[in-house]
Amino acid sequence: MHEESTTKENGEVRILAFLCNWCSYAGADLAGVSRLQYPSNVLDVRVMCTGTISPYFVVKAFQEGMDGVLIAGCHIGDCHYLKGNYMTAKRFQVLRDALNFLGLEEGRIRLEWVSAAEGEKYAEIIKSFTEEVKALGPSALRKKDAAPAGAEAVKA
Amino acid sequence: MSALKEIIREKLENGSDAFLCLKNQEGVNLPVLITSIDSQDIEVADVGEVRYPLAKILIELQKQHPDKRFAVFVRGCDERAFIELSKLEQLDLGKLVTVGVACTREEAAACGCARPWPENVVLGEKVEASPGLGTIEKLEAMADAERMLWWKEEFSRCIKCYGCRNICPMCFCKDCSLENPYLVQPGEIPPEFPSFHIIRALDMAGRCIDCGLCEEACPAGIPLRQLYRKMQEIMADKMDYRAGENRDEKNPLSFLGEEADIEKLE
Repeated sequence: MHEESTTKENGEVRILAFLCNWCSYAGADLAGVSRLQYPSNVLDVRVMCTGTISPYFVVKAFQEGMDGVLIAGCHIGDCHYLKGNYMTAKRFQVLRDALNFLGLEEGRIRLEWVSAAEGEKYAEIIKSFTEEVKALGPSALRKKDAAPAGAEAVKA
Repeated sequence: MSALKEIIREKLENGSDAFLCLKNQEGVNLPVLITSIDSQDIEVADVGEVRYPLAKILIELQKQHPDKRFAVFVRGCDERAFIELSKLEQLDLGKLVTVGVACTREEAAACGCARPWPENVVLGEKVEASPGLGTIEKLEAMADAERMLWWKEEFSRCIKCYGCRNICPMCFCKDCSLENPYLVQPGEIPPEFPSFHIIRALDMAGRCIDCGLCEEACPAGIPLRQLYRKMQEIMADKMDYRAGENRDEKNPLSFLGEEADIEKLE
């Protein structure tokens, strides 16, 4: 009940956040246990390292009805796998510009470095990103009115 | 092309096991592998009026005959493809003998690549070419929503024939993401926007050598080259990498790199 009302208030934008297991997921967790308030229209996907995120996943997320995609990982130099996020940084540049060239607004995709201690930063990022995506409105790549991926499975 | 016949004979006599080129058969250019100096095909050997992705045949040939030395003629684009393919460990340049062919003025103008000649030109003469990059600028000047409409319109003609992939000299994977049912819905024509096309574009980052064969092959006349030229531009701007230009420099997307390189990015 509570969730539904907050989603409506936020203009029903859907955001997918890829969080790395070692830093950003822990950062998000810290934001949670610190009881920081941030918008609830973010779906988290925990990955072992942001370097494992194929650009295809992001394209797929937009195709399945997401309005924004956030990728958050360890700061450069702090990667649990030493250099995994180097690849993320490079791929992100290519992906964002390529999607933008096909007409997707740059503000819909964001890369951030969030450490396990930065719960507050995580809450701030979610706030500002949600605002940004809300201002852009629903994504043009969304199918008619596609339910978020997996919604039917949950109902069944 | 009597010069080509001489060159073929000379290469076959001097250590090359076979020469891969095109032949003119009743007005149609077909690829042919000439293995003997007495072959009838030498008489009809040609560099062709149309281009052909000989790299694709060479990859297979080298896989089947790793100890053989193949000679082949190369245009500027072929050479860039060979260099990039060798970095991707698909071709062994050490076992290739190349004969450089410069594109004629008409060919260069029709194709519009930035360098229509290989490093060592043996046949033909270098002609300057002006790359026709105009349309990218026009697209970049559009607003995002307008550009998306434009692309949607263009891609709506796609009949998913895979022609762009099949002719691409840089496409060699056995398992292609375009055939992955989780990424591209099977049996849907035109394919969903933009997954089909963006997947190919992302794979072309740091790989596309701007030969323009995809656009030539597309039966629906989709301006694919503009999309791939954008990918080249991104790689040049952000990572200072131009596919096929330098033999020693590796594609930045193929290795992790150093912290200093990452800090140069935004």
